[in-house]
Amino acid sequence: MKIVVLLKEVPDPNAVRYDPRLGDLVPGIQRVANEYDLYALEAALRLREQVGGEVVVASVGPARDALNRALAMGADRAVTLEGEALPGDAWTTARALVAWLQREQPDVIWCGQETSDSGTGNVGPAVAAQLDLPLVSNVVGWEFRDRVFEIEREIEDGHQFQEVAPPVVLCALSALPQPRLPTLRGIMDARRKPVERLTAADLGLSDDALQPLVQWEGLSQPVAKAAGVVVQDVPPDEAVERLLTFLESRGLLG
Amino acid sequence: MQSSGILVFVETSGGAARATALELFGAAAAVQAVLGPVTALVVGHGIAPAVEQVAALGPDRVLVVDDPHCAHPVAAVMARAVLTAWDVVQPALTLLPSTTLGRDVAALVAARHGVPHFADIVALDVTSEQFVATRPVYQSKLLTTVRASRTRPAVATIRAGTYRVPEPRGQQARVEDLAVAFSPADQRARVTRMVEKPRGQVDLENAPVVVVGGRGVGGPEGFAQLAELAELLGGALGCTRAVSDLGWRPHAEQIGQTGKQVRPRLYLGVGVSGAVQHTVGMQGSETIVVINRDPNAPLVKMADFALIADWNEVVPRLIARLRERRGR
Repeated sequence: MKIVVLLKEVPDPNAVRYDPRLGDLVPGIQRVANEYDLYALEAALRLREQVGGEVVVASVGPARDALNRALAMGADRAVTLEGEALPGDAWTTARALVAWLQREQPDVIWCGQETSDSGTGNVGPAVAAQLDLPLVSNVVGWEFRDRVFEIEREIEDGHQFQEVAPPVVLCALSALPQPRLPTLRGIMDARRKPVERLTAADLGLSDDALQPLVQWEGLSQPVAKAAGVVVQDVPPDEAVERLLTFLESRGLLG
Repeated sequence: MQSSGILVFVETSGGAARATALELFGAAAAVQAVLGPVTALVVGHGIAPAVEQVAALGPDRVLVVDDPHCAHPVAAVMARAVLTAWDVVQPALTLLPSTTLGRDVAALVAARHGVPHFADIVALDVTSEQFVATRPVYQSKLLTTVRASRTRPAVATIRAGTYRVPEPRGQQARVEDLAVAFSPADQRARVTRMVEKPRGQVDLENAPVVVVGGRGVGGPEGFAQLAELAELLGGALGCTRAVSDLGWRPHAEQIGQTGKQVRPRLYLGVGVSGAVQHTVGMQGSETIVVINRDPNAPLVKMADFALIADWNEVVPRLIARLRERRGR
């Protein structure tokens, strides 16, 4: 079985800081693999362990460290799609991936539910729509038996179970098993694994086809709130009354 | 020629419209002057109550897909309904709630038409030239503005709590059934079963009030009181990652970086210190109240009202007082 994992490199979410003078992130934040994507990769590796085949990780835009990590975790090979117009917006990214996926013809495409940077969650569904594949999002569990997936999804009303046969696009949440850590052996092996670089032209894509649909502007901070009330060293009964008065004043007691 | 009009996808649950879907009519009202008439699309099975709710809000037209195919929220099936309505209405803007289903459907429909999907937005402005949306990025730590030209239609999913549900109008809208042809391809992913949440429990991401327990609660037992507090306040119970990692509460209740994003009218944190991994999931909350022993906890600095105390001493009293008020 051929299993593809879509992986994005993002600024380390634990190190993200805003620079109001730049109107952007502070420079030099380390880039890491998007967390949900690593859960997707772990699921892909487990699927390969069960049924055999290969796991290919793909990124739009450079992602050397993230792809090396994926290879060290056990992916068989990596592909980066690069070019001036890439990654562009979610539409552009999906277009590039679709052009590549049409060549690879994978049975399963795993991706993270969304990224920790722009977080539109658009790429997985857009890939599914353009390849005309079924989409199953919010995956928190799966089994593969008799060539059919039973997928457990976490949705608003509870847990929904869906059956779907490959080819399919699956979007992972972090309630799936934790991504394995790369072993020393894995890191050594990763050096010998193929990393392919493809440009838009290699994929037969013109600049026109990669025109983004939206323009992103700078970043801003949500308006800071005025300092709040702090109630300290007050007997519990009085503290509770003050809290109730506060909630009442905000119309929060119905 | 520019298309015109607004298509509103009304997601249903148990026959009724989701509150977040009704809020979309508030968003539609705000841009209607520029974009033109509002068509509601109500989809599900056994959804007469939802149709009634929607018609009372006074859209220009209500399209109803009441079909056994739509009994479960499945992205491809719902996307087919929206695509069919799209062909009928040719909308300039399609609005969906920023729910699991809404975001899947929006992204599928937008990709089919090659138009932008403004995902999970918290503000929307439309001129004769362009769409301008504001959306949280970096796990809601920051905001950005996204623009697209009006030469194409657009799709947007709107975060819960962004707009208010409009007051019902006197007259009822025109209601029509919409016939949708579901193809076998739309039904490749098939729902086999559903494990529902216990009844009476409010859906976390859309709850107006969220009561959250952190490691400071001290163990799984304390959460029974927090659940009661949540119920008395008409809200849902959530937890931090530490709590779900310790197995005190299920992952589904986790709020933050690897959990849910909430934006309630009231966030009440009990024994929550406020690590960034948690606060990225709740900092859009309208009012933040904290009960914590540690006055230096980061969440205390974010709070509108912070009670520095042992939760064991205040939460039982708070519950008792709320019960009195509710006449129980």
